[in-house]
Amino acid sequence: METYIGKPIKRREDNRFLTGKGRYTDDIKLPGMCHAAFVRSPYAHAKILRINTEAARNAEGVVTVFTAADGPGDFGVPCGWQVNFKNGDTMREPQHPLLAKDKVRHLGEPVAVVIAATMALARDAAELVEVDYEELPAVTNPQEAMAAGAPLVHDAWEDNAAFDWCIGNDRAEVEAALKDAYHVTELEFVNQRLAPNAIEPRSYIADYDVNADKWTLYSSTQNPHLIRLLLCAFALGIPEHKVRVVSYDVGGGFGSKIYHYTEEALLIWATKEIGRPVKWTADRSEAFLTDAHGRDHVVKSKMGFDKDGKIVAHLTDEYCAMGAYLSTFAPAIPTYLHGTLFQGLYTTPLIHLNVVAPFTHTVPVDAYRGAGRPEATYLIERLVSKAAKEMGIDPAEIRFKNFIPAFDGVKQPGYQTQVALQYDSGNYAPTLEKALEIVDYKGFRQEQAEARKQGKLLGIGISTWIEGCGIAPSAVVGALGARAGLYEVGHVRVQPTGKVTVFTGTHSHGQGHETVFAQFVADRLGIPIEDVDIAHGDTNEVAFGMGTYGSRSLAVGGSAIVKSIDKVLEKGAKIAAHKLEAAVEDIEYAQGKWTVKGTDKSISFGDVSLTAYVPHDYPEGLEPGLDFSSFYDPANFTFPFGTHIAIVEVNADTGKVTLKRFVAVDDVGNVMNPMIVDGQIHGGVVQGIGQALLEEVVYDDHGQMLTGSYMDYAMPRADDLPFIETDRTVTPCPHNPLGAKGAGEAGTIGATPAVVNAVVDALHHLGVDDIQMPLTPQRVWAAMQNVQR
Amino acid sequence: MKISGKHIIEAPVEAVWQKILDPAVLERVTPGIDQLEKLAADRYKAIADIRMGPVKGRFTGSLAIEDKVAPESCTIVLDQKSKIGNVKASITLKLVPLADHQTAVGYTGEARMSGMLARMGQRLLGGVVSTLAKQFFSAFEKEVNG
Repeated sequence: METYIGKPIKRREDNRFLTGKGRYTDDIKLPGMCHAAFVRSPYAHAKILRINTEAARNAEGVVTVFTAADGPGDFGVPCGWQVNFKNGDTMREPQHPLLAKDKVRHLGEPVAVVIAATMALARDAAELVEVDYEELPAVTNPQEAMAAGAPLVHDAWEDNAAFDWCIGNDRAEVEAALKDAYHVTELEFVNQRLAPNAIEPRSYIADYDVNADKWTLYSSTQNPHLIRLLLCAFALGIPEHKVRVVSYDVGGGFGSKIYHYTEEALLIWATKEIGRPVKWTADRSEAFLTDAHGRDHVVKSKMGFDKDGKIVAHLTDEYCAMGAYLSTFAPAIPTYLHGTLFQGLYTTPLIHLNVVAPFTHTVPVDAYRGAGRPEATYLIERLVSKAAKEMGIDPAEIRFKNFIPAFDGVKQPGYQTQVALQYDSGNYAPTLEKALEIVDYKGFRQEQAEARKQGKLLGIGISTWIEGCGIAPSAVVGALGARAGLYEVGHVRVQPTGKVTVFTGTHSHGQGHETVFAQFVADRLGIPIEDVDIAHGDTNEVAFGMGTYGSRSLAVGGSAIVKSIDKVLEKGAKIAAHKLEAAVEDIEYAQGKWTVKGTDKSISFGDVSLTAYVPHDYPEGLEPGLDFSSFYDPANFTFPFGTHIAIVEVNADTGKVTLKRFVAVDDVGNVMNPMIVDGQIHGGVVQGIGQALLEEVVYDDHGQMLTGSYMDYAMPRADDLPFIETDRTVTPCPHNPLGAKGAGEAGTIGATPAVVNAVVDALHHLGVDDIQMPLTPQRVWAAMQNVQR
Repeated sequence: MKISGKHIIEAPVEAVWQKILDPAVLERVTPGIDQLEKLAADRYKAIADIRMGPVKGRFTGSLAIEDKVAPESCTIVLDQKSKIGNVKASITLKLVPLADHQTAVGYTGEARMSGMLARMGQRLLGGVVSTLAKQFFSAFEKEVNG
């Protein structure tokens, strides 16, 4: 019997994607459907003096025009995570209206919506809406937003802070340890703002059925049930059982499609008003302006070491932008998904992080692939590498010195960090050893020295990373401020013929769930993979779910499915025992059949399934059917880890960085499909390289975005990249049945500091000890000139 | 965006001063300007069509001439709106008489853009402004000497 776990099974979903048969929201056309176009603010901060919609209303094909005053201004989208001030004061939470009322607070904020027969007519008419603004001063930098006299984003409060929060040990204790430290390494930088850039822009269709009094929302979302909950219970106050959210195929999310956006709620409100379905699909400019951005931390940090290079204390202060309003998970990103990773892979005994999170006159900032963890890893890995240079210790050696010793989470307990969480299992040194071996570290150092004599600038950068995935259990995240449970639902429906449909509350928007989930379901049931289908993305099909984020789908969603499979097999055993005239304890299940132990008497999975639905000869008192749903709330986060090494060459004349090699040795727990894991690592690494070398959202002093197209926002392209070499170690997660940890964000978390460490390594002999990302040729060249002078 | 430049005109400073404040002349020589309608002393309503690659639009708004010091300097203040974004600019002109009936016209100022104009156009604008300025001064020189 063929098994599937651990094999590079080709992705079953790719056939439809590669032949243009995917079902994306914008592909859906409903009878009578009209189209929406938004009138958006051209200013970052302005009073709305007057809106004149008359010309637009009278334009060709226009159904109607709505402004805040027509009703949408009274509704707002909610925030799903509460992070309070360290003094106990409640987080400041402004209303996030569906259309701006009296003021606009970021560039691109919607002030009116035009609904017309076609998209072109809607857009033409939107240009006829006249809005008079009184422009006001804006602030876009999170540190400047906290300066005295900074323009206020929300007048209700005396300053721009949404919250001021801290985590870790007592600050005074950490400061004292730094004072006594043998060596202190300091670092100040900006972890720059990034745009998420999913290939499919956001798209929604809202359809109100007047006869049934029901709404359907087709949405390019990562989590349909969560959107339905937020939309019904918090945004519009409509009954949840009357709303269906459908999210078939989605072309990438990277976090940006987790959130409940104002456009979704507005279209659901509007479709009932006009009695027709209405679609909106963002264009690329709108994606830059309105998709929640990532990162944007201003960082000031100190790390103390003893004379042997052991870390004794770490103190960091950050300003982290929230944008104009609190996006769905925004407060969690620079706090509980960031500060909780400040332990890194190291035994640092004293850690303190303080985060001031101000409102800024920019689009909201929320999770972007890695979400808080790339920022933590970048900081820690730059500090450790900088310290190694300053103390004359090899950068690999300083990491080996500080690693937490191996623990499997079973025989040895999990590792309790200084920053709230307990790591599940870890064995960190082997990933670094393996990566050093792959790059031939000693050999490279000789090559580097030789090259330097010829005037060639080669550098190597190491990053040893850890992240917290599968954000749960609900009780813990609830205590940390989450306003939702973070469990997952897995529903296994065995059809009468023994074919299996699995419904998962997670969502696939590129991850390959239809393949990976089918692999372990087929193996657990001992049936061919062709007999297993995975369904997701429709609240009418799937009982409930929390969607996909935080590399959780396999670890949390997969485990929920395993729970249901266990129930199927338990009930199947009762049916089989009855049919085989044996006691339940005397039969065993293997390779798709129940067998009476020690005999050749057996019954197949298909026969038991048929018996369950045609229960003519059936155990007394047992319900018919073979259909189970389970909620799985994990015991802990999972903590994958690894080592990334970049080798770069810097052009001595132009400052251009060329990546010569990139090696990623990751430990993501048990691997279901190595090809898909490698694909996830490749994609993630490229996004991490993008931040290191190319990408940055730039606002000018007035809050105008200067990087609103691909002419100015530099995405990584194939010719920016080397072949990405991957390898892995396997340390299973001790607390979920699949032993899986999660791989979706790993690449993005590990890659960025490896690249920057490599460039600094290449230039260190010239006196360069840090360069601000992205490392454009201009910045690298300038750094070289300043130190050479 | 900072704007600055200098142009030598083959005409005495008084003639340049007179013509540069004449709305009929400005309407004829300013590239893209369709209409310049007098609202009050030194205040005009201006309508212009600007095309720069992917960024094109019809601008309407005001043009005012302030801080006049004859025949030495003045400031042109623009406040223009369009579907692709708005422009606010303040540009100071300085006239310096040179030998042989020549005049040097220097201009410095700042333009602020919003909306798509800022996002898409900002990078192109430096080149566009200098091209427009060249066109303006060569047409203007013909007017003065014509």
